[in-house]
Amino acid sequence: MANIREIQSRINSVKDTMKITNAMYMISSSKMTQAKKKLQDTEPYFYALQGEISRILRHLPELEHNYFVKREDIPPEERKIGSIVVTADKGLAGAYNHNIVKLEEEILSRPGIHKLFIVGELGRHYFAKHGVEIDTNFQYTVQKPTMHRARDISGVLLDQFEKGELDEIYIVYTRMENSVQSEAEVIKLLPLERSSFNEMKMPLNVHRESIELYPSAEAVMDSIVPNYVTGMIYGCLVEACASEHNARMMAMKSATDSAQDLIRDLSIVYNRARQAAITQEITEVCAGARAQKK
Amino acid sequence: MDTFGLKIIASDKVFYEGRCRKLIIPAPDGQKGILPNHENMVIAIVVGTAKVQLAGEDDWRDLAVGTGFAEIVNNRVTLLVDTAERPEDIDVRRAQEQQERAEEQMRQKQSIQEYYHTQASLARAMNRLRVAQDKKWNL
Repeated sequence: MANIREIQSRINSVKDTMKITNAMYMISSSKMTQAKKKLQDTEPYFYALQGEISRILRHLPELEHNYFVKREDIPPEERKIGSIVVTADKGLAGAYNHNIVKLEEEILSRPGIHKLFIVGELGRHYFAKHGVEIDTNFQYTVQKPTMHRARDISGVLLDQFEKGELDEIYIVYTRMENSVQSEAEVIKLLPLERSSFNEMKMPLNVHRESIELYPSAEAVMDSIVPNYVTGMIYGCLVEACASEHNARMMAMKSATDSAQDLIRDLSIVYNRARQAAITQEITEVCAGARAQKK
Repeated sequence: MDTFGLKIIASDKVFYEGRCRKLIIPAPDGQKGILPNHENMVIAIVVGTAKVQLAGEDDWRDLAVGTGFAEIVNNRVTLLVDTAERPEDIDVRRAQEQQERAEEQMRQKQSIQEYYHTQASLARAMNRLRVAQDKKWNL
């Protein structure tokens, strides 16, 4: 049996760690609440944008726009595929980062020329070791997502897409299903898929209200689509941020719980050791006294 | 007097929802006024000052808006912009700093993309300052 002092110091160190994990748990839970609120605030804007694109597509099905062109003439081996990978800045969040990395590696195994845009320190370190091309100027953190940052990111991507440096853009992030479950997910950002705006098939005999686009359909689309992409990226960043904190919260909660179990076990061992020491001392004293008597 | 439904949605919140009498928005080629029972239309909006006359009021209220668009359908107007601010919510000092920063960046050599970026940032800053000049909006 370990000696009493050793057990005592072990208990203390576990207690100290527990304090930290408990504090991290509380920080993450408050940050998650903030992130969730942010997500709720931005939802109406985002859905309205989506609805508007679908409305315009419905009224002008023949509309041709840069962002809808699929560039099918490029063979799959030569397609330049960009992916935004949203990981956390640090670990201690259970399988959160691992899931994202796994999903991204799936994308990397497909044919094409890949280029990564990584948000978050951890992913940057991971993929830097794996010999994939990473945009090094792309230094953004995942803490406190803002519209401004999303605008920066979408600016870079739209620019490269228009120049033909990228043919497809994906974003890999973690979506929150509910407060206990979240799942890593891939979304295609560009080119836009008409089908994702669930075009309604309207019967021919119904009168459709006509909508005029001012100054022109292209100008309106030009002002909607970049905002849509920005909104999409912002939504993903916020969602990822919320699930990161959720994952960290869970991880820290189970760490705290297992620390408590550990402390309970250790204190039983400690009490036994103490009791054994006392018993032994008494035995020694008694034996000594008996020896004296004789 | 006739009114129409107005909903202003900014990227971070629903900014305003209610009835409105007149609305002036900054379109790419100048300002555009919207009165009740306007034809169905979607209009692109650039960074600038929008003016509204809410139902039951006679004075105009200013607000600073970012890029986006206005959608007019069935006498309902939805203004979707990336930012919308009342004059009294604008931090003049911050806007000034933003302007100075943008001007500084303009003087440096930049890629075209960075140039557009700075230009947009400068436009937003100047617009904020312009709107903040007279603070009239109080909902």
